[in-house]
Amino acid sequence: MARAFKRKGDRFVARLDEVEREVVVGLMEQTHAFLAPVPREPTGDPFDDLVAGLGLPRLDDSRDDAPQLPRDPALERLLPSAHRDDPELAAEFRRLTEHGLREGKAANLATAISALQAPDGDKVRLDHEQARAMVVALTDVRLLLGERLGLRTDEDADALQDRLEAASEDDPQLHLAAYYDFMTWLQESLTGALMDL
Amino acid sequence: MAAYGGAVPIAPAELSRSDIAQDMSVDRPWITLVWNDPVNLMSYVTYVFQTYFGYSREKAEKLMLDVHQKGRAVVSNGSREKMERDTEALQGYGLWATLKKDD
Repeated sequence: MARAFKRKGDRFVARLDEVEREVVVGLMEQTHAFLAPVPREPTGDPFDDLVAGLGLPRLDDSRDDAPQLPRDPALERLLPSAHRDDPELAAEFRRLTEHGLREGKAANLATAISALQAPDGDKVRLDHEQARAMVVALTDVRLLLGERLGLRTDEDADALQDRLEAASEDDPQLHLAAYYDFMTWLQESLTGALMDL
Repeated sequence: MAAYGGAVPIAPAELSRSDIAQDMSVDRPWITLVWNDPVNLMSYVTYVFQTYFGYSREKAEKLMLDVHQKGRAVVSNGSREKMERDTEALQGYGLWATLKKDD
């Protein structure tokens, strides 16, 4: 039986059994695969490859080559348009920030996955840096799950519990909704523990 | 925004004197906005405002409630470069942040 995150001295501790840890890790791995930056194909030009390796925008980035408005609505939620009324400024912001944002999110997820894969018995113990990465990683997992569950308004989120109770056993959305609920519970406890500092 | 267990106190918070002085200073032509979404937790949004901006718990909760109840809130203002940094950082935390030139 899982026990939510609590602050113990300078550590943040939760009790999660093997199956629960596997569920969280599995969801984080999927989110990592969804978000991690796609390495650019080497161009053969040493300078371009070096710049690409640093995650900087190429100086000759044309509009066609720049990251376009993402098509997947979950990606649009995880990496939203920064300028609502100006597509040109939004594209420029995306070109300059998308790679770094994807790297940062992927790094948080990787830190969280490592911590979950090195438990002390059934206890997951985090230092402050790991806890910070975990709480952000849980957010990104929930944003992706929430989009897949079609949560667009506060009312949708409020109705999730009813959907859970009304769903039939073989409804694939039932599992997503149950995972979402579990992630929410974990994140709420870790956020509370972090704000206790 | 979502609440889990409803543990967030909702008493209105007063802005401190220094907050008001800060908000009234001139030449802050760009603003960063955070928009309501159904996934982010009320506690987490407060945590991010405190952690990233260094806002007091009272100010962070006031802004969080504005986002929740009014659909959005201006969370910072200043130069375009600073607002770009704020927007990028808040998006890094998973908040739905945008920037624009102040009207």
